[in-house]
Amino acid sequence: MTGVEALYPFLYADHADLAPVLRAASDSTADKAREIVGLRTEMGEQYADVLIECAQAMAERFAAGGRLFTFGNGGSSSDAQAVAQLFLDPGGSARPLPALSLTNDVAVLTALSNDIGFEVVFARQLAAHTGPGDIALGLSTSGGSANVLAGFERAHRDGLLTVGFAGYSGGRMAEADTIEHLFVVPSASVHRIQEAQTTTYNVLWELTQLALG
Amino acid sequence: MTRLLDRDAVRTAFAAREAPGRALAGDAEAVAAACHAMAMRFHRGGRLLAFGNGGAATDAAHLAVEFVHPVIVGKRALPAISLTNNAPAVSGYSGTDAYAAQLRLFGRPEDIALGVSSSGRCANVDAGLCAAADAGLLTVALVGRADGAGPDIVANPAVAHVLTAHAEDPRVVKEVHVTIYHVLWELVHVFLEHPGLLDEAS
Repeated sequence: MTGVEALYPFLYADHADLAPVLRAASDSTADKAREIVGLRTEMGEQYADVLIECAQAMAERFAAGGRLFTFGNGGSSSDAQAVAQLFLDPGGSARPLPALSLTNDVAVLTALSNDIGFEVVFARQLAAHTGPGDIALGLSTSGGSANVLAGFERAHRDGLLTVGFAGYSGGRMAEADTIEHLFVVPSASVHRIQEAQTTTYNVLWELTQLALG
Repeated sequence: MTRLLDRDAVRTAFAAREAPGRALAGDAEAVAAACHAMAMRFHRGGRLLAFGNGGAATDAAHLAVEFVHPVIVGKRALPAISLTNNAPAVSGYSGTDAYAAQLRLFGRPEDIALGVSSSGRCANVDAGLCAAADAGLLTVALVGRADGAGPDIVANPAVAHVLTAHAEDPRVVKEVHVTIYHVLWELVHVFLEHPGLLDEAS
């Protein structure tokens, strides 16, 4: 210890503390990794039949010329874009399928938000773009996003196949009678919910590809 | 007519996620080191600039919103931008310049450049990381082992922290990446609670 460190130990105290904080960070990472592995397995067991039914129904829609429309807010908007991109341009030998995320167009999103309100941003786009042969897929970690619920209401009324992803205990999405196939990740962590949702929609895509043969 | 699915298909799909998910625990020290380095940059006033192609472009967007608008109440907003949001810019640049040009123009030496590539072989992500390192930015790459033909980001000496998802299926790589960047966000905040650990000399 130098003379200055001896005089002002509080200035240097944290230097010695780096190793334990790094170790705690490392332990926390390993814990999260194990937690999500368990949660994924739980989803696979709990939702096997729903996944099969949903993929079968989506494949039938695609085979008949239907298209996929996806929506969500915040991190779930990037998930909506990821789902659309996965169906549209899967790479390899997989079959590309028509899909569009309703979170892409800033002109439309800001026009609807500014002129009417944020709760209509997906419902209005669904009304403009879709027909009864299409598929609406919405994501919300809480299950309570008003614009996602409004999107499902519109889609269900217009005869679209509706697919939902939620977390916690499903929130208002679980109570709604507008979502035919609903996947609820049983976790209280927004992060783990999103991670398990990612796996679930990727598996749903895989199964849809299988069903299309 | 569509093919009928059975439960084996579901079981196989979920089973393929187990080993890559568990492998992340083995890389926990590398993740923690990256978080510490990133926290040091935020502490200096740096920003996170994230980029990637296709599905990884949505990860860049997710990363940016994660830091700017944390899902956990009470955590402060940190500056983060996705370089993939500006479709006119991304589609307007030629060759491998989409991210490199933006990083040269927007990047400051204290910033963090974070590139995502499921193959670890995206030429424009690699070029972005090189341009960022040249400008003094901290470079972080999230990569995987999907098929790709470009330069090997893992072998690029310009990249300070490489975090790998141990999977070949690009979907599974993405899933592991989502966990990695959620942890990056969480642990950056843990390190920010220890400002004494964040000076460059520490």
